[in-house]
Amino acid sequence: MVDKGPVISLCRSLLRAGHQYPDYNIREYAKRRTLEGFRMNKNLTDHSKVEEAYAEGKKQLEVVERVVKVYLAYPPRTKNIMELKLQ
Amino acid sequence: MASKAIFSTLRRSLTKPHGGAVSRRHHLSTTSAATASEPYPGDEHAIVMKGVRISGRPLYLDMQSTTPLDPRVFDAMNASSIYDYGNPHSRTHLYGWEAENAVEVARIQVAKLIGASPKEIVFLSGATEANNTVVKGVMHFYKDKKRHVITTQTEHKCVLDSCRHLQQEGFEVTYLPVKTDGLVDLEMLREAIRLDTGLVSVMAVNNEIGVVQPMEEIGRICKEHKIPFHTDAAQAIGKIPVDVEKWNVSFMSMSGHKIYGPKGVGAMYVRRRPRVRLEPLMNGGGQERGLRSGTLATQQVVGFGVACELAMKEMEYDEKWIKRLQERLLNGVREKLDGVVVNGSLESRYAGNLNLSFAYVEGESLLMGLKEVAVSSGSACTSASLEPSYVLRALGVDEDMAHTSIRFGIGRFTTEEEIDKAVELTVKQVEKLREMSPLYEMVKEGIDIKNIQWSQH
Repeated sequence: MVDKGPVISLCRSLLRAGHQYPDYNIREYAKRRTLEGFRMNKNLTDHSKVEEAYAEGKKQLEVVERVVKVYLAYPPRTKNIMELKLQ
Repeated sequence: MASKAIFSTLRRSLTKPHGGAVSRRHHLSTTSAATASEPYPGDEHAIVMKGVRISGRPLYLDMQSTTPLDPRVFDAMNASSIYDYGNPHSRTHLYGWEAENAVEVARIQVAKLIGASPKEIVFLSGATEANNTVVKGVMHFYKDKKRHVITTQTEHKCVLDSCRHLQQEGFEVTYLPVKTDGLVDLEMLREAIRLDTGLVSVMAVNNEIGVVQPMEEIGRICKEHKIPFHTDAAQAIGKIPVDVEKWNVSFMSMSGHKIYGPKGVGAMYVRRRPRVRLEPLMNGGGQERGLRSGTLATQQVVGFGVACELAMKEMEYDEKWIKRLQERLLNGVREKLDGVVVNGSLESRYAGNLNLSFAYVEGESLLMGLKEVAVSSGSACTSASLEPSYVLRALGVDEDMAHTSIRFGIGRFTTEEEIDKAVELTVKQVEKLREMSPLYEMVKEGIDIKNIQWSQH
């Protein structure tokens, strides 16, 4: 059975990892999709489903951390217009 | 260019002995520097390419021409590129077995997305190759008995070109016209079917206007007359629910780079029950059931498989998000502008493709002004020529409206802020062009443009 604490900390880690993407679109998508993913599974009561969702979340965290490292190793060539306007 | 001029003037002024002339030239060099190469404050990120200056990377709204690679697909492809370098067709060692395993996993992932069996999927280099293989291969196989092909006027260029090639070989092709909303008229399809019809090819989702054809009805008609039904589903898979059994298709073309996968890979679905035969385009060692010989690019195939699996999982969420963004875009533009026409049916449409025509505006100048938004007018295949797109012509759109059509492509990674910005930029540009347009002035005064007698000078 997974408690609320680890779930919230997983959400926070995913958000923090996704925030590091250098590409504007993927960064925004990571944030949006993470929050939506956790929101969708908020009311799950079946233990096995909760464990399944938690394991899925952990797997996604591994993927994001790995991919972000590669994306950061190749710095972006130009700044996106959306990022310029937000300054 | 400007810097060369500065350096040459500096060099000349430094070597010349006269003081007065030197100071004058110095002034010249500094003013030219200020106007040419010194960036405006806050404009350090400006990109100058092909004679155009844009302040930053434009926002990407051209999802129908291609899509960015999803990071999860990228991750899977990396692992595969490093380790699965064996030839998947080598049966004798571990490297071949591992690569073959990876390909088979991808095959299952693709098959699940369309409701087919993995044995019916053939990997190749893209939807264009799949379309060519099916159209030419089926007709060449049955060339003794079947000499007729039915397709529509709004198909992708590769299908139309393959049909033209068949016509040169002596086959007959019927190009069905479409109604003004872009959908195929089922009665005309029924009438066009002959005894020697060998193939019906209708694309599921049009890449230019985004209309979704009535696939189930067309499949039913083809089943009645026992004619193989081919569909180019490159823009459809992962976006609308696709089921080869419900649609009763015998062949389907799929493309990797339209569903956030890698470029250079695609797949072809070839039905096994009832069996349909086709002549392969690529002959060789008999790989992929003899239908497409050649070594498979394992990491591309793996990427395609992961993209399909992701598309299946994310289809519901993406559909909700994209529909929301499409409404925001359409309402945003319609609030501020009149004379906006949506090309193609608004009901039977894939939400991520919005093709708008702006009246009384010239298309090329609109695109030139929209440099901060990456959109396309017409499809990428026809954007090199200045003719209006043949798809819009088939819809019966007037020449002037066809020229001003813009295709907005919304995808998984598009944000609301981008849509708002696109609306703002489009509205601004259209208003600016309309202000300059004498035709718009005449329309505002109430003159009917179509009844004007233009005089010859």
